[in-house]
Amino acid sequence: MSQATLKAGAPIGGAVEGNGAKRQLPLDVAILVFLRDRGIIVLWVLLLFVFSIWNHPYFATLNNAMLIVSAASMTAIFAAAVATGLFSGALDLSLPGVAALSACVVGVLLKQFGIPIPLALVAGLGVGLLCGLVNGIIVLKGLNPLIVTIGTLSVTSGLAALVVGGYAISGIFELEFMGSARYFGIPSQAYIVAAVYLALTIFLTRTRHGIRMRAVGGNSEAVRRAGLSDQRYRILGFIISAMLASLGGIMSMALVYEASPNASPSILFTALTAVFLAGVSLAGGRGSLPRVLIGALVLATISDALTIAGVQPYWATVTTGVLMIGALVFDKSMTEAISNRLVQVSRVSTHERVGK
Amino acid sequence: MTTVNAALRLTGISKHYGYIRALEDVDFHVNPGEVVALLGDNGAGKSTLLKVMSGAHQASSGDVAINGQAVTRYNPHIASELGVEMVYQDLALIDTLDISTNLQLGKEPLLPFPLNLLGLVDFRKMHGITESQLDRLGVRTAPADRPVEMLSGGQRQVTAISRAAVRLFERGAGTILMDEPTAALGYEQTRMVEGLIRRMADQGFAIVLVTHNLPLCFNVSDRIAVLNRGRKVADVARAGTDHNQVVAWITGAESAIA
Repeated sequence: MSQATLKAGAPIGGAVEGNGAKRQLPLDVAILVFLRDRGIIVLWVLLLFVFSIWNHPYFATLNNAMLIVSAASMTAIFAAAVATGLFSGALDLSLPGVAALSACVVGVLLKQFGIPIPLALVAGLGVGLLCGLVNGIIVLKGLNPLIVTIGTLSVTSGLAALVVGGYAISGIFELEFMGSARYFGIPSQAYIVAAVYLALTIFLTRTRHGIRMRAVGGNSEAVRRAGLSDQRYRILGFIISAMLASLGGIMSMALVYEASPNASPSILFTALTAVFLAGVSLAGGRGSLPRVLIGALVLATISDALTIAGVQPYWATVTTGVLMIGALVFDKSMTEAISNRLVQVSRVSTHERVGK
Repeated sequence: MTTVNAALRLTGISKHYGYIRALEDVDFHVNPGEVVALLGDNGAGKSTLLKVMSGAHQASSGDVAINGQAVTRYNPHIASELGVEMVYQDLALIDTLDISTNLQLGKEPLLPFPLNLLGLVDFRKMHGITESQLDRLGVRTAPADRPVEMLSGGQRQVTAISRAAVRLFERGAGTILMDEPTAALGYEQTRMVEGLIRRMADQGFAIVLVTHNLPLCFNVSDRIAVLNRGRKVADVARAGTDHNQVVAWITGAESAIA
């Protein structure tokens, strides 16, 4: 969406309709739009710069960069899961449970049944697919997604405990290739994150099904009136979201060699922070996935830099919270400034509603 | 007039909600290329009649015919298939997507083989289609790739109306139903929408306009139908009436139909 906003089309015919609206966006509006859409990148670059000076010479090193990437990877996967859900119009709270259940299923299959690794991974992702499908079908009965997914959070974490008999399975070294392994000096998880974000971004912005899925999140009535099934796309959102959570669960298991049935809500809240930092709207349909990745990197950068500086880690949590609220305020004021400018530019009447 | 096949014709429509009679034996029709304004006070039955036309409500009794063909089991889906499009007051646009995507949703052109197998959309082609469709409607307010959230209220209204027309382009004719298309608009923007309505009628679309706005009604309509307490009290050519007369019909002071 940001791409489209920036390049205004070729002017044909001018303002024939006579309300004086220019076809090209005025420069100041274009700058405001740029700040709103790319502000998080500016913020990240600024943070990197400040931390490089503050923590000289320990921060700006390749090794530390890899630490940040590694730390951001888990957040990034779960943030992608949350964001995909929000794009399609639903906040899925069952993600930690789905992650735990998938990890436990893969752990049991590998350790107790000796299933080959690829099959076990497929089964783990299959668990995600099933959970997403169930979430979606229940929500389509007209129930509130928040409450339904709190229910399935409980169900999935209970099932996870049942699958492993209540205790964590440890010593799972089979998945090291997607855990702590590095290729060309870059953590394996970074490759997974890059592939997931690339594929998902193309899907969401370039393919008809991805665009329709975001359209459902933006205004499902519009999709219905276009003669399309909004329900299919809602379910698709839940499925992609849950499968990403499965992937996240399996990745964190690979990292710590242990399948734990404890669903940790903290990963969900960290992911939510990254998502809202990136300006994704809780109302649905609005936001950009690459920015969510930057959001995850910002969080990892802050906690890394404060650790290096010897600041108490609690300050990282405080800073993160302040940043997120700051991001919300910034986004809102930018959006308002843009619509104010547009109103002035097109000289529309005063009882006019522009933007939301 | 009755010898031509009306684009949409309702005969003897009654609609009862329990004991409440929202519509009582109403006849109504709109011909291709004609703009009919449907007027009435609050609660007169305008919206109910419009919903019967769009298929959202089933009439308790009476018949619906489209292009001279009687339609049984009428509903919004069948209405859309038969070329009856509704522009709702809430517009139902997707704010975060651009004008082009909003107009082509469900009919997005794909890139050539093999990229089409991945469902990749050809944005250049899509914007081109949209620009030429908007040109045909004489709409040139914003580029096709501008997100709807960056549009003014008038541009949004024009986009929503254009979307209805664009969906009818393939069949070359059809009926467009509008519910208060200028309710949220200022003077200039209202003029912009009026121009668009007139141009669509000139291209052969049949248009039904539900409104409270008498100037709008006199500026664009060919014929004026007035409802009062669920009954049609007037149905006359615009040229054959004036402002005061219409107000008298709306308030129920007079009736043109015995």
